[in-house]
Amino acid sequence: MIRLLVVIMVLAAVALGLTALGRQGIGPVLVTQEDQQRILLLLGNPRDEHTEPGVSLRLPLLEEMRTFDRRWLHLASQPKEIQTTDRERIVVDNYVIWRIDDPLQFYKSFPTGISEAETQIGQQVRAKVREVIGQHTLVEVLKDERAEIMEEIAEKSGEALERFGIDINDVRINRTELPRGAEENVYARMRAERERQARKNRAEGEEQARRIRAEADREAQIVVAEARGQAEIERGKGDAEAAGIYAEAYSTDAEFYAFLRGLEAYRKTLGEGTTMVLPPDHEFFRLLSQGSERSGSGPSD
Amino acid sequence: MARSDTDDKVRRGVARTLGLVTSLIVLLGLLGLWASFGFYRLNPGEAAVILRLGKYRTTEVREGLRWHLPPPIESREMVNVGLVAREQFGDIDTAREAATLTETAMQTGDNNIVDLEFVVKYKIGNAFESRFRIADLRETLRDSSQAAMREVVGRNSVDDVLSEKRGLIQDEAAELLQTILERYESGLFVEGIELQEVQPPASVRDAFDDVIAAAQDRNRKVNEAEGYANEVLPRARAEASEVVESAIGYRDSKIAEARGEAERFLAILREYQKAPEITRKRLYLETMEEVLPDVEKVIIEPGTASVLPYLPLGAARREPKP
Repeated sequence: MIRLLVVIMVLAAVALGLTALGRQGIGPVLVTQEDQQRILLLLGNPRDEHTEPGVSLRLPLLEEMRTFDRRWLHLASQPKEIQTTDRERIVVDNYVIWRIDDPLQFYKSFPTGISEAETQIGQQVRAKVREVIGQHTLVEVLKDERAEIMEEIAEKSGEALERFGIDINDVRINRTELPRGAEENVYARMRAERERQARKNRAEGEEQARRIRAEADREAQIVVAEARGQAEIERGKGDAEAAGIYAEAYSTDAEFYAFLRGLEAYRKTLGEGTTMVLPPDHEFFRLLSQGSERSGSGPSD
Repeated sequence: MARSDTDDKVRRGVARTLGLVTSLIVLLGLLGLWASFGFYRLNPGEAAVILRLGKYRTTEVREGLRWHLPPPIESREMVNVGLVAREQFGDIDTAREAATLTETAMQTGDNNIVDLEFVVKYKIGNAFESRFRIADLRETLRDSSQAAMREVVGRNSVDDVLSEKRGLIQDEAAELLQTILERYESGLFVEGIELQEVQPPASVRDAFDDVIAAAQDRNRKVNEAEGYANEVLPRARAEASEVVESAIGYRDSKIAEARGEAERFLAILREYQKAPEITRKRLYLETMEEVLPDVEKVIIEPGTASVLPYLPLGAARREPKP
């Protein structure tokens, strides 16, 4: 009973000890971390499998192990000048996100290690970038089909690198630039466009301002003219009504009106500066010439 | 003998039991000591990624004193998930002028160039992925931020970037960057992208400024014209009402005058009808009285051959007057 307990405990201690050693890369127990993958070589010949995260076993001393990264790796490329189909030159800079998908294949392809692989990836991706961008116009690269172009490059690079045990997640253009010298042309064009825009703004201002003024003047003229028309109508009404009133009143005795109006006219027309040649038998002088005697049927003094 | 035998047995039994108990205590002590290596303290904003024999087991985020199976069975990785970090692109403060320039100069969709500085704010959203799924976290973040921003800028024209669509560009770039980072299993969470300086390149900046000045000129001219219109129209309306009012005045006064005169005539007429002859004569004479004093009067017998000899008379008589 106690003996059994002791045995179990000793075994447990041994297991823990081997695991602890395994973490240091020593002994028959292998502990593979989540960010690692390992292959085992029996006297230089690799086993036909790689380790998953967790514990695995090996023949101590005989089996040698190689550890590879299992994470996504980042590779920056050198900027390269490319000509598009519309004969524009453009400097493209990109990066690659990749990982070792098949460590065995990878180890066979690049026995010296990761830098050799990076060189290979760099070459393949550069070729694909050149190939794909060379089939598009500048506007497509910059704007319309950027995402599709990057997808195509990633896909083609992935196909080319699959046989090395490499998985390409993404090839992404992080920078596009104009080649040296071409920038000046762009600046000149930008300047010309802006100058045109500024002139247009100013001309439009002039146009709008003039239109507003002209509209205001026109409206003002119409308002005044309509008022004048209205005024004439009012005056006409006044004159007409007055004429009506006069006519109505005067027609009650037209003869007397003529008499009265005649007198009124005299009053206004005769006066200083007028010379009247009057015959002595004028009605006004009747008394003067007839004396005090009654004239006609009138009673006499 | 038997007694000492039993004594011996008992003594041996006691000793064995004691030894057993002691070794058990020692063993338990060692076990406890070992187990105590599994304790750890989790501060706010921290997460612990727990691996069991190298394989991912769980991510602990509850703060306080925590425990996992002691090493070498389980191990932990502490990751700061609370901190919002900032990654600056095109910092004007850095002295690397040339490097900064290539970092900030971006091609727009209409093949113009803008200088654009921005900040990416991010934090670790998935502690496990950020530690175990991606190798070069910062380099990847920097490059993919550049890629996302340039892709979005490339979709827009220079005017969009410089003016009203800034906010939209920020959001679009942040969204795109998040998609890219998820594709890389980076475990990063993009809190947001802030555009800082957005400018046309230095060598054409004056031309861009002039466009703005021209737009202001345009507004000023339009405002002036509107001011003019606002002045001219009320003035015209004032004139119009003056004209109409004076016409109405004319109309009313004409009518009033006519009424008055008609009344006067009718009044005189009423008097006249009472004694027509007398009134007629009186009116006539009164008028003459009024009119004739000022009139030059020449009274000539009818049938006189010529009026000429008499004509200067009035004038001669008046001559001595001063």
